[in-house]
Amino acid sequence: MTSSETRQPTSGTTPSPESTWPPKLDGWLDAVARRATAEGILSSILVPVVSALAALLVGGVLIAIDGVNPLSVYHAILQGVFTKSRGFSYTATVATPLVLIGVGYALAYRARVFTIGGEGQYLVGAVAGTAVVTAGGIGDLPRVVLIVIGLGAAIVAGALWGGLAGVLANRFGASIVISTLMLSFIGDSLLQWAVRDGIRDPESYNANSRPITAAALPSFFGQKTHLGFLFALVLVPIAWWLIRRHRWGFRIDALGHNPGTLDANEFSSARVTLSVLVVAGGLAGLAGMVETTGVNIRLGQEASVGYGWDAIIVALIGRLHPVGVLIAGLGMAGLTIGFESAQRQFELPSSLVSLITAFVIIFVVWGDAIAARWKETR
Amino acid sequence: MRSVSRRFGETVALDGVDFEARPGEIHALLGANGAGKTTLMRILAGLDRPDTGTVEVFGQRIENFEPGPIRALGVALVQQHFTLVPTLTASENLVLARPEGALLPPGRTAGVRVQKLVEQFGLEVRDGVPASQLSVGERQRLEILRALDADAKILLLDEPTAVLTDVEAERLLGVARALADQGRALVVITHRLAEVEACDRVTVLREGIEAISDGAVDGYTRADLASAMIGTDTSGTITARTSRRTQAAPVCLRVRDVSLGRVSSLSLDVGEGEIVGIAGVDGNGQSELEAALSGRSAAESGEVSISGEPIAPGDPRSRRGQGLAYIPSDRYSWGLIGPMDLADNLELGRVLPIRPNRPARHKAARPSLDHWDVRTAGPHARTSSLSGGNAQKLVLARELDEHPSAVLACYPTRGLDPEAADTVATRLVAAAEAGCAVLWIGAELDELLAVSDRIEVLYDGTLFGPYLPPFDRAAIGLAMAGDAADRARSATGGEAGPP
Repeated sequence: MTSSETRQPTSGTTPSPESTWPPKLDGWLDAVARRATAEGILSSILVPVVSALAALLVGGVLIAIDGVNPLSVYHAILQGVFTKSRGFSYTATVATPLVLIGVGYALAYRARVFTIGGEGQYLVGAVAGTAVVTAGGIGDLPRVVLIVIGLGAAIVAGALWGGLAGVLANRFGASIVISTLMLSFIGDSLLQWAVRDGIRDPESYNANSRPITAAALPSFFGQKTHLGFLFALVLVPIAWWLIRRHRWGFRIDALGHNPGTLDANEFSSARVTLSVLVVAGGLAGLAGMVETTGVNIRLGQEASVGYGWDAIIVALIGRLHPVGVLIAGLGMAGLTIGFESAQRQFELPSSLVSLITAFVIIFVVWGDAIAARWKETR
Repeated sequence: MRSVSRRFGETVALDGVDFEARPGEIHALLGANGAGKTTLMRILAGLDRPDTGTVEVFGQRIENFEPGPIRALGVALVQQHFTLVPTLTASENLVLARPEGALLPPGRTAGVRVQKLVEQFGLEVRDGVPASQLSVGERQRLEILRALDADAKILLLDEPTAVLTDVEAERLLGVARALADQGRALVVITHRLAEVEACDRVTVLREGIEAISDGAVDGYTRADLASAMIGTDTSGTITARTSRRTQAAPVCLRVRDVSLGRVSSLSLDVGEGEIVGIAGVDGNGQSELEAALSGRSAAESGEVSISGEPIAPGDPRSRRGQGLAYIPSDRYSWGLIGPMDLADNLELGRVLPIRPNRPARHKAARPSLDHWDVRTAGPHARTSSLSGGNAQKLVLARELDEHPSAVLACYPTRGLDPEAADTVATRLVAAAEAGCAVLWIGAELDELLAVSDRIEVLYDGTLFGPYLPPFDRAAIGLAMAGDAADRARSATGGEAGPP
C-alpha cells in the first residue's frame, strides 16, 4: 500500500500519476457541466436568471455609451417580442432549432460527452433531407410523405455524422470535442459542394438547391411559426421522461458521473457514448431539415447561421435540463428577434446581441463557480 | 531516524521506528503492503513529516521537512511511480531537474551530460526520444541517473524491481552494489526475499513497527524474514470460521489458462460453498486477475466460466444473470456512483427498461438497505455521503441480495474499520455457507487465514499452492515473498508448484 492510500483509507479515487497526463482538453467543460447540473435552486434558477439580467445590464451600459437610452431600447425589444403580432411567432421560429439541438447537447453533456458538432450535423441533415425531397421522380408524392421522408433522411444523416465521432472516440480514443468540431467544418464544406454541384438547381443562377416547397412544413400561429416548433415542444417532455424514467436516461447520468462503475455493473460506457452522440446528431439533423423546409424555399450556401453553436450556450444556460433548454432557447430567440427591430429603430450595431449572449455565458460560468465555492465553504 | 511516528487519521503508519543507512552499504527495507515502508522513505526524503521523532542526515538534524533542502543534503528518492516528464527526452528531463542558468543549454551540451552520466554509472538510457517511449527499465535508470546527477549521497529506491524483468532487476542490484562501493548509502524497499540477499543490512517493518531492526542480512534465513514480515500472531480483526469445508464440492467458478498483463496462464477452480483466498503482495497480478474475472477487461487468452457457461467480457448484466457477483477492490471507481442516490446504486445491473417513479424506487430499496444494515438518512441519500463501511455494505446489498452462485470479492475489507470489516467478512462467509463459491482476493493474510477453505498465493502472476487448513503461516509467507517461485525456477526452470 502506498502512503497516499494510507492517508485516505476509504478513498479509492486518488488518481494514479499516469492518469494526469496528457491533460484532458475537456477538463474545463467537465467542470462547467458538473456545476451546471448541481442540485438546488441556487444553481438551477438563480445563477442563469441573475446572469441574464446582469448581461442585459452590461448591454445597457454599452447602449448608453452609444448615446441611446437603454431603457427605451429594452422597452422596444419587449414590444417587439410580445406586442407585435409577429413577434412571438418569429421568436418561436428562431427558438425551434435552438431547442432541438440544445436538448441533444443537454443529453450528451449530462453524460459528459462533449460534442460541439451540432452545426455540422444540422447542415448534413439539411443537405440529406433536401437531396431526398428534391430528387427526380419523387416530387409527385403527397406532401405528408415527402415531409416524413425528408425529415427521416435528415435525422439519419445527422445521427451518422454524430455517430462517426462516437466511433472515432471508441475505436481510436479521439477527443470528441476535436472530432465533432472538425466534422462541423466538413459538414459545412459538404453543404457548399452540394448547393454548388451535388443538388444544385440547374435552372437557377444562384448556388442553391431546387425549391423544396413540395415538402414545406405547414405553418400555424400566424404566418411564420411552422410545425417544427411543435416538434421542439413535444421533444422537451419526451427528453425529460427519458432522463427520469427510462433506462437509457439512467445510463446517461451514470456515464456522466462514473463511467467505471457503469462499465463494471450495468452497460458498456462506449455504447452509451455512441448512442448519445447518435441521438444528439439525429436531433441536430432534424433541426437542419425543419429549418430548411419550415422557413426557407431552397437550401442555399448561407444555410450555416450558427444555430449549432448557439445551442451549446442554450444547453448550458438551460442547466442541461429539457425544460431549461426550452426556456433558454426561447429567451435567446426573443433577444435576437427583439433586437432586430430595436437595432433598426435606434441604429445600434448588430453585434450587440452576440455581445450580450457572450456576457450571459461568462456570467453563468462565473456564477456557477461562485455558487460551488459558496457551497463548499458553507 | 529515531523513533519516528506518523499517523494518518485513525491509521498508524509508523510507530516509533528507528532506521539507519550507512555509507557503503545497501540497506533492505522489507515489509508487506501498508507496513509503512514508503511512508518512512517519504519522510526521509522530505515529502512527508513525522508526527514525533527525529531525522538526521550526516549529523544534521532536519527541522524543516521540505524536499528541496533535504535533496541539497544529498538525499534522493526514486519513487515507485515515475516522475519524469513523458514528453521530454532524457537530457531534457535532467536539465529540468537541475537547470544551469536561466537559459536552456544547447541540445549537444545536455546530451553530453547524459552521456557522461551513462558512462560513469553504467546505467544505459537512450537520449533523444521522449521518456514515454523508453522502456520501464530505462525510465527507472533515468530516474536514478537524475538522482545521481544531483550528486545523491543517500539513494532511496522504492520497490525498484517491481516493474522490472528478472534480468533487469539483477542488473539493477549490481549497479546498486557498485554505487554502494563508491561510498553511497542505498536503501532498497522490497517485498522479495531474493533481493534482500543482495543487500548488507535489513530492516523489516510490520504494521508500522520494526520486526527486525537493522540486522545483518547474513544473520537471517528466508523463513526468519518471511515470518517477521507477516507476523505470527493470529488475533486478526476478523472472526475466524469455526468449521471449514473439507470434502470436495462441485466446481462452480472455473478459471482456465487466463493471461492478462502480469497474470500468465492462470487456472483455478472454486467449488460450491468454498472460500478460496488469494494471498499475495499487491502488484503481483491481483488487479489484472480482478479485471479478467469480473469481465471488466477481456483476457488475452483463456476463459472464465461459471457452472460451465463462459463469462463474456464487457457485458456486466449477463455476468450478473449468470450468477457471478463482483465486489470491486475500489468501490468508488467500479462499484458505486457517488452523486446518485442509494436506490439508483442498488439498481445498477438490473435497471428496468422503463423505471418506476422515484417514490416507488425508494420504497423498493428500503427492505434491502435495512437487511444489509446500511445506515443512512434513507434511500434518497447521495451515495457519496456514506462512510466506507456503509458504502461497502451497499455494494454487498446489491451483489449478494439475489443469491449469486459465485462471488468475486476483491479486498472486500479494505479501508474499513474493524467492526465493519468483520461484518463484511461474516456476510461473505454466510454466503459461502449457503452454497456460494467465493473467490477472495486479499492483502491481509490474517483475514484470509480466518475465512478461507483453501489459500493460493499469487506471486508474479502465477499461483502457488494450494495451502489447506490448518494453515502454515510461514510457508504462505515464504511463498508471498517469492520463495516458492525462486525454488520452482531453480529446480526445473519453469515448473511451478507448491514447496
